Amino acid sequence: MSGPLFELELEAVRLQDRAVLHAQRLALPEGGWSAVVGPNGAGKSTLLRALAGLLPVEGRLALRGRPLADWPARERARLVSWLGQNEPVPATASAQDVVMLGRLPHQGWLAPASEDDRRAVERAMRRAHCWDWRTRPLAELSGGERQRVLLARALAVEASVLLLDEPLAHLDPSHQADWIALVRELAREGRSVLAVLHELNVALQADRLLVMHAGRVRHVGAAAEPATLAALQSAFDHRLHLACLQGRWVCLPFALATASEPAPCTHPALTT
Amino acid sequence: MSLRALALTLLAAGLALLLLGLCVGSTGLSLEALRGADDVPRAILWEIRLPRSIGAWLTGALLGVAGATAQGLFRNPLADPYLLGASAGAALGVALVLVGWGSGAVAASVLARLGMTGAAFAGSVGAMVLTLTLARGAEQTLRLLLAGVVVGVVLLAATSVLTLLNPDVLRSMQVFMLGNTALLSGASIAMLLPVLVLAGSAAYGASRALDALALGESTARSLGLPLAGVRFALVGVLALCTGAAVAQCGLVAFVGLVAPHLVRGRCGGAHGPLLALSALAGGALLLSADILARGLFAPQELPVGIVTSLLGGVYLLVLMQRGRFGRTAA
Amino acid sequence: MIRRALVGLLAAALLAATAHAAPVRITDDLQHVVAFDQPPRRIVALLPSLTETVCALGDCDRLVGVDRYSNWPAQVEKLPKLGGLDDPQVEAIVALRPDVVLLAPSLRIQDRLEALGLKVLVLQTRTQADVRRVFQALGEMLGRPDPLAPWRAIDADMARIAATVPPSMHGRSVYFEVDAAPYAAGASSFIGETLARLGLRNVVGPELGPFPKLNPEFVVRADPELVMIGRRNADSLAGRPGWSRIRALKAHAVCAFDPAESDVIARPGPRMAQGAEAMARCLRRLADASAQ
Repeated sequence: MSGPLFELELEAVRLQDRAVLHAQRLALPEGGWSAVVGPNGAGKSTLLRALAGLLPVEGRLALRGRPLADWPARERARLVSWLGQNEPVPATASAQDVVMLGRLPHQGWLAPASEDDRRAVERAMRRAHCWDWRTRPLAELSGGERQRVLLARALAVEASVLLLDEPLAHLDPSHQADWIALVRELAREGRSVLAVLHELNVALQADRLLVMHAGRVRHVGAAAEPATLAALQSAFDHRLHLACLQGRWVCLPFALATASEPAPCTHPALTT
Repeated sequence: MSLRALALTLLAAGLALLLLGLCVGSTGLSLEALRGADDVPRAILWEIRLPRSIGAWLTGALLGVAGATAQGLFRNPLADPYLLGASAGAALGVALVLVGWGSGAVAASVLARLGMTGAAFAGSVGAMVLTLTLARGAEQTLRLLLAGVVVGVVLLAATSVLTLLNPDVLRSMQVFMLGNTALLSGASIAMLLPVLVLAGSAAYGASRALDALALGESTARSLGLPLAGVRFALVGVLALCTGAAVAQCGLVAFVGLVAPHLVRGRCGGAHGPLLALSALAGGALLLSADILARGLFAPQELPVGIVTSLLGGVYLLVLMQRGRFGRTAA
Repeated sequence: MIRRALVGLLAAALLAATAHAAPVRITDDLQHVVAFDQPPRRIVALLPSLTETVCALGDCDRLVGVDRYSNWPAQVEKLPKLGGLDDPQVEAIVALRPDVVLLAPSLRIQDRLEALGLKVLVLQTRTQADVRRVFQALGEMLGRPDPLAPWRAIDADMARIAATVPPSMHGRSVYFEVDAAPYAAGASSFIGETLARLGLRNVVGPELGPFPKLNPEFVVRADPELVMIGRRNADSLAGRPGWSRIRALKAHAVCAFDPAESDVIARPGPRMAQGAEAMARCLRRLADASAQ
């Protein structure tokens, strides 16, 4: 793939007559893990929806060189997998049945699940660490377990492009680490992952950062680059405390010290 | 109990109820008709009890399919087939026919040809078309629901005005509103069976879309499903099933709401089996209510809607006690 | 002597006055006793049969307001309409300053009206006995010396009409359908009483109540020789499953009444003879038709 994955020449994207995304140009290359970050209301989820073809776009949006509107729905669904934030969940369906829904773009109309489908579902569920309780109904799962099932659903599509909106919701640190490992593996397989992340510490480990602010992507670049970090600071109103910790960038919300603040840590940082 | 076992059980129950239906009538439960010596009892068996029992089963099956479709389409376990104004439209149609019959001759001839059945069907389908128009297509589910409520309320008000000005139609309207299986005939079956086959197949065809819709409309669209067309088709299924059921038996309460819940536990999230099993469960439910309505106070009859409300209400209570409704996801 | 005559005259006048001043006490159907010092001059009637009874007693001019559905005789159409059986307009009633308000028991406003200081009589007309009783009560209230005179006339009329029913129709079984569910008029209903007076046998016995909702099978089993029904539902009879076997349908012995006739037949009141005549007319027609 030589051309960019997504090419966006935007006038506006509106939600109920209010412009959420403003005029901008964006070209996203194929491959790698890109994190979309920005303050609340910056339009991150809206951007993801627009790229997934779920919102009408005023302007031009091309996927692999072809206008998105020209893609047949199923072909596009096989190429691009979207995981939304706070979407409804069927309470009585088992985890496996929900993940199997991810195979819909590959299945003929009313065709039963094939061997390929079953293997894809197992692969996806193992990658998301939810295979062990595949027969349990979703209503009986905790928030984190449910999120992993939904992630598996998005993985089951086996799409080249994954658009994930807040995939780390409800996941504890160990599962967040699992997720990072998974995304890196997907990137190694040549897939493109675009994830909206609230957790800046995780986002800073991505290959690429898209910094958004007030309806526009202000900067696209590698996480380690100074320009990216500067854009990040600017987007968050200079309220971030960015530090390099053992070769990785970490980010803390910056608040002025008060009298009752605990003393800063004196022990060296611990690693496993 | 596996899915297949449940299906076979419901099918067997339907057949058993059919047999029971042949034995229950104006003389209560009696097996003498089966021996069929005399001419009249044989006529009663084949011309009255058989079509009535089959018709009741078919109507229940239609309501079951409509209920499962409505619950899947609106992602709401309390949705029923009458949600989009169907019941109010049918009631208005029937009221117009009843009132028109009393007045001028011109109106009477047209209305006479339409008949109560035709008027109920036309009213039901017409109200749903009105709802679709108000909601400007089946694009957004919430708008569709709101339009349905508006249409239902306004048409009900119109019906009330009609009955207020013509109180002699009150009793007939009450019969319609409470559901009545007493006059089901071979002609009824000729209307109900094709609709069940047609609408049932269409709903089954859209069952995968219903499965995906449970994940939310955005996710379903992202999976490549042609949602607008599917939604339109499903509303059409709803209109046909509800219209036919209401035309033949009036407004039978609860069957469309309860039948899917009777079988939902076995189906997981799969709507294909849910639709088929809802049809079987709905048929069995309405037929048993019809038999009870005939048999309890023979030769008098209860309106079948009262029995379905009692049966359905009790069953929902049992489900609630078991905590089935206690959990909600996300 | 003139003084004695004057005293006698005075005594007679006093006697007459006290005789008139003795209040008339009427007990209504709720066992309330209402006293009238003199016959009421302004009457509001909120039930068609009560309106018709007042007019039959000759005091139609005293009516100042009626309900929406009172439509006989023609002069009551000009009176103010005060609502229906369940939604009478209390304000309008009070504004008419009636001396008495006549109601059916189904109305819940009687307490309201009594609290506002009006006299209320609650009267029920469901059977022929009720009609007679209401004639007695209202006749007494209106100061009629012979309250049952109109009733006797109606009774005589009914006997005369019963006599016009051809002998071939006597004892025939009849099924009277009130509504398409089917709801039938049983032997204990007012319609059933009329049918009995005309010498017909109702297939629906008194044990089933006045207006039972029947299993259509029952009618097929009972196989009535005559069917009486409103014109609206008459055409659909043959289409009902199994009904084409019924004797009445095979012989076309069906009396279809138009809405005005159905109205009178079903209304227990002074016009019951009219209702009976509508039925008798049909019976005579059927007898003639079968004779040919």
